[in-house]
Amino acid sequence: MSDRVKTTKIPIVERVLEANDQLAETVRADLEGRGIFTVDIIGAPGSGKTALLEATLRALKGRRHPAVLVGDLATRRDADRLAHWCDQVVQISTGQGCHLEAGQVRDALKEIDLSEVDLLFIENVGNLICPVGFDLGQAAKVGVFAVTDGDDKAAKHPYLVQAADVLLLNKIDLLPYVPFDRTVFEADVRLLNATVPILDVSSTTGAGLDAWLDWLDRSPADKGASNPSA
Amino acid sequence: MPVVHEFSIAEALAAQVLRHAPASGRVSEVEIRVGALRGLEPEAMKMCWDAVTHDTPLAGSVLRIDLRPWTLTCPACGRAWESPVPFAECSCGEASPRPTAGDELDLVSMTVDEDDDTVGAEADAEAEAR
Repeated sequence: MSDRVKTTKIPIVERVLEANDQLAETVRADLEGRGIFTVDIIGAPGSGKTALLEATLRALKGRRHPAVLVGDLATRRDADRLAHWCDQVVQISTGQGCHLEAGQVRDALKEIDLSEVDLLFIENVGNLICPVGFDLGQAAKVGVFAVTDGDDKAAKHPYLVQAADVLLLNKIDLLPYVPFDRTVFEADVRLLNATVPILDVSSTTGAGLDAWLDWLDRSPADKGASNPSA
Repeated sequence: MPVVHEFSIAEALAAQVLRHAPASGRVSEVEIRVGALRGLEPEAMKMCWDAVTHDTPLAGSVLRIDLRPWTLTCPACGRAWESPVPFAECSCGEASPRPTAGDELDLVSMTVDEDDDTVGAEADAEAEAR
């Protein structure tokens, strides 16, 4: 039998996530065409993504017209929390999925009146690895690290650090109480990404939120510039 | 099933391979090329591939993963070398060489086994067409 088998190697070379990437491009074109700035928020479970969004939405009340898509394995607790501060919140339950994909974003957007929106937050599933490689059609990726998670997290998650358009170092109010060496954290980030802005924030005290809001307000072309407080 | 991105990637890859696979023959091997930045775990990826392809025409096919390494460049002595990890000291003593890596995730090739009598069958079909 085996001596009668003809074996052929077929060269292909095509991106594995081509289908997702194409969908993401469609989503991006739609959102950009409507003048909506879209951020994909990526961080570990417990890094404070939802609390940060709550503080952000509260501060944006009356200033911007945000909508939120929030991905979770299960439960709509995050969506319920965020609904206090924003009329348009859609929960995406990913079930077993460790990240959001472009098709889920496209479907969830059908539940939002986009004519009312100028800023879209996508809170990804709590995970520092999986979401990074899946384009959702966002204009910018936001990486969230917390000082309580340790100063080695940037070094251990190079893809997020490299892909992020801004990094938020959350829970900065707890810095005096935890063994987090900010110099080490920043040095690791800089080796991987020489230009990404690092904003120290605390959703609890409100420290640093102004710089983050300012980053959100700036035109997309300006956002790469580091040190917005200068 | 573990909640890992390898699973989604395996699902996307299986759909892609089936799209490209010729109608006749059996896919025996699939080759992908992955940049170090992706953080793909080869063993997890192979396990997911087996799970995703189970009970499909791709069952039993071997997944070959060409994992592209990091390139470290030393700012002190200028040496550049490949490394499986992004942070490593240079032999000159410099502690912080700059790591760079690609994020490619490409299907590179597939290998298809066909019984050789399909060659005869093709000839028969041609004869019939005439």
